[in-house]
Formats: sequence, structure tokens, C-alpha cells
Amino acid sequence: MKFIFVLKQTFSNLWRERTPVVATILTICIALTILVALFEVSFVLYDQLRDLKSNMVIEIYLEPSTTDSQVKIIQNELEKYNTIERLRYISKETAAQIFNDEFGENIMDILDENPLPVSFEVRLLREFNHPEYLALFKTLVENIKGVDEVHYRHALIEKLENVTEAVAISGIFVLIILVFAMNLLIRNTIKLSVYAKRRQIDIMKILGAGNLLIRLPYILEGAIEGFIGGFLSAICLIFAHKFIAGYFPLMVIGASTYKILWVSTISFGIMIGLFTSTISVGRFVYKIFANK
Amino acid sequence: MIQFRQVTVNYGYVPGALKDINLQLHDGDFTLILGPTGSGKSTLVRLIYMDILPSTGVVTVNKWSSAHISYRQINLLRRNVGVVFQDFKLIENMSVFDNVALPLVIEGYRRNYIKKLVYVLLDEVNLLQSMNQRASTLSLGEKQRVAIARAMAKNPFVIIADEPTGNLDREASKNVLSLLERINRNGTSVIMTTHDYELIKDTPYKRIYMENGEVLPGDRTITIPKTRINLLKNQE
Repeated sequence: MKFIFVLKQTFSNLWRERTPVVATILTICIALTILVALFEVSFVLYDQLRDLKSNMVIEIYLEPSTTDSQVKIIQNELEKYNTIERLRYISKETAAQIFNDEFGENIMDILDENPLPVSFEVRLLREFNHPEYLALFKTLVENIKGVDEVHYRHALIEKLENVTEAVAISGIFVLIILVFAMNLLIRNTIKLSVYAKRRQIDIMKILGAGNLLIRLPYILEGAIEGFIGGFLSAICLIFAHKFIAGYFPLMVIGASTYKILWVSTISFGIMIGLFTSTISVGRFVYKIFANK
Repeated sequence: MIQFRQVTVNYGYVPGALKDINLQLHDGDFTLILGPTGSGKSTLVRLIYMDILPSTGVVTVNKWSSAHISYRQINLLRRNVGVVFQDFKLIENMSVFDNVALPLVIEGYRRNYIKKLVYVLLDEVNLLQSMNQRASTLSLGEKQRVAIARAMAKNPFVIIADEPTGNLDREASKNVLSLLERINRNGTSVIMTTHDYELIKDTPYKRIYMENGEVLPGDRTITIPKTRINLLKNQE
């Protein structure tokens, strides 16, 4: 009977304050949609960055006049680096074969000679694939006698890293603002409900109702607002995905990710609702009776 | 047993809402607390259900003492005390049935038990036919009877009626008084505050006179002397 009473009170609160309730639900929905979208964009960018980094190759070109013994010395020098995961020697012939594989033409037919230099292809261990170490590695290797040039796609990596960082930072910033806005709106709705029912709360207190029974309807109210906000947000995100996936294949997600999307948005919505309403109702119920 | 020992109540910067009250109210008694508006009657009864706590002194209600009562124990105490107010304190948008059932819901009784008991209580106050009506649609006299039924719901050891006839006409006031008398005859203590001396003039109950936050001395088991009635009426 107590449970039915609490449910009745909860839905009566939601109905009585329907305008602020709708505003709160929409805010939660918009906030969660933006949050999850930002999170997903960060995740896709981070994923791309990780792929790029793990597949990144540093090419070390040697001077054309380098002899075989000098190549051996350079190889020994490079092997001293324990940051290298893989070191591959590319002779002039192998380079010509790679050229042939990539461009479909034999370089000897075009130029009558093979101008491609001898080189090493280096893959660093994943934890050393960051711009600072790459720059240091490049400088160190370029100082080895017989090395002509060191190449890697540093500009792209730096750019991608900057973008990922910017998205992550702005995501945190937006998160703080949105959580603050959600908090204010839920608090305001709960405050209106509590004020509208202050007489009833007073009567229940006189009849010996405990704190939990008085507060539970308002706490549930916040949780329900969070649930509906999260549910609507999941629907928005799924529609957005279906729309965007046509233009950006990177954003295509599978059935299991859809499940995660449902669960995460709804549970995050409920958590925000519960947390804010629990704090607010305690404060407002106390305030009303402190000022009595 | 309800006991007040050297009880003083100060409201914020206004001292002396009650001054050095020493009283003892026995189980099963019907006690009338009389006095003009502002004399401290309501403050005195609010101390019994611990809506306020004394500034100094101790109020003891059965096993509960204001000196060391916790918030949880106050809730327990209130579940054993029925309170009836001048403004009824009903939840206007709830039905008569739900209003009477509220203390039982708070206590956590089962639905069937609540249903049976509320029927009996509403029958007692002659409002069974109105049980599905909203409280807001009732007359003032009916509202007060609903409030009394609600106060009786948990079979309390005492009913505190704070100016229960203050908003009622003569006929409704008499009905409320006779209802409270019937409850008292069944063994429940009743403490009623009033300044309607006409209503209670022929009743044989214990009387406590209050003025300016003090209990006036004298034998208070006899009926009120006419001069006292006129004096108190003039002061209002």
C-alpha cells in the first residue's frame, strides 16, 4: 500500500508540474544527445589516431654513396634503439618492387636506371608513437653518418592529436555546463513540486511519516524525468546515426553498439535525475520546515 | 500519562510563549484547555506531539521524553497520538477515504485491513456515504468529522483537538464535541483547547485555564465561574 501511495504521489507530482517536467525532460534529452555525440566523435577520432599510429612507418633513406659495410653499421646503430618494434632493410631492388606494386610501372622502364635509395623501414613500439619522441628519434637518426633523410607523417598525426584533444577538452567543458543546466532544471521542478505540496508534507509529518516516505515521490520524479530524457536521447542518437552513416562510413555502428547506446543514455539519465532530485528534495523539505 | 515539568517555550526573539508550566494529564481523562487567543493553548498541545520542543524543562508523553527524543522517535510518538486541528489539515484533493487511510498507509498496513478499518471509522463519524467524495467538497462540519476519523485511525492513546470547533457553527460544534466525548468514553484520552465557553459550560471535564503563557492557579475540576467566562470573553 505504501508503494502504491508513493507511485500515486510521484505521478501526481509529474502531472501537476507538467510544464517544467517537459522542459526538464527535453533538457536532459538534448544534453545527453550532445554528450554522447561528442563522446562518439572523440572515440572515432581516437580510434583513427590509434590505427594511424600503430601502422605508422618511419622511412630512413640512406645517401646514394653508402656502401654495404656502412649500411651494416647503420643497421647496428638502429638496432641499439629498444624503442623500435620492427626494423626492415629495403634494398634498391626491393624499393623498385614496392614502386612497381604501388604504381603498376617498372621504374627501370621509365628512367632506365633505379634512382631509389637504400632505406630502412622502422615501426616504433606503440607507446613511443607520440610527436615528441618521433621528433627526437628523427633528429638522432639523421645524425648517423650515411643517413640522408628521415620521413614520417608527423603533420597528420599532430593535427589529428590536436583535434582529438580539442574535442575531448570541449567535451568536458560542455559536459560541465550541461550537467549544471540539468541540475538547475531538475532542482527547479522538484522545488515547485515540494512547494505545491508543502501542506501535504506538513500533514504527513504530523501523522508521523518518515523522511523516506515524504521524499521518495520526489526522488522517483527525478528518476522518471531522467529515464524519459535518456530514452528520447537514445532515439535521437540512433536516428542521427542512421542519417550520418550514409555520409561518414566511420560512424556506422553495429547492433551491440546500439544496445550500449540505449543502456548508457538511459542509465546516465536516471543517475542524473536520481542524484539531483535526492539532493534537492532534502534541501527544500528542510528549508520549508526550518522557516515554518 | 503526559507530564510538563518547568516547561518554558520561547519563539525566537519573543520570549515567554509558555512560562514555567507544571502539569500532569492522566490517561483516560477528557481535559479542556481554556484561554483567550494568544494565551499559549496551541503551544502547549504542540509540545505533546513534539511539533515544537521546549526551550527549557521537559515534556514526557508516555515513554517519550523531550529531553532525549530523536527524529525517528518523534515519528513513532506521532503515530500514537491523534491530532485534530481548527483548519482540519485534510488533503483537499484526496478523497475522504484516502484522507482517513493516510495514517494507516504511513504505518504500512495491508490494503484489506485499511479498507475494513476506514469503513468502520467513517461509519462512526457518519460519513460512509461520502467516502469517495473529495475532501474539498465537504462542509466544514463534515471536514472536521473526517479529521477526527483520521485521528482515530491508529487507535491512539490520546486525541489532541486544537480548537476543533473554531470554524464550525453551533450544531456542528456540538456534534464534534459529542463525537470526542464518545471517543473518550471508549478509553482514549482527549485534550481539547477551546475558547468557546458556551459549548463546554455544562461539561464535567477537567479544565486548565491559560493566560499570557501561564497556567492560572485554582481548582480546575469545577465548571467555569461566570465571572471568569466574562473576563476571558472580554479579553478576546
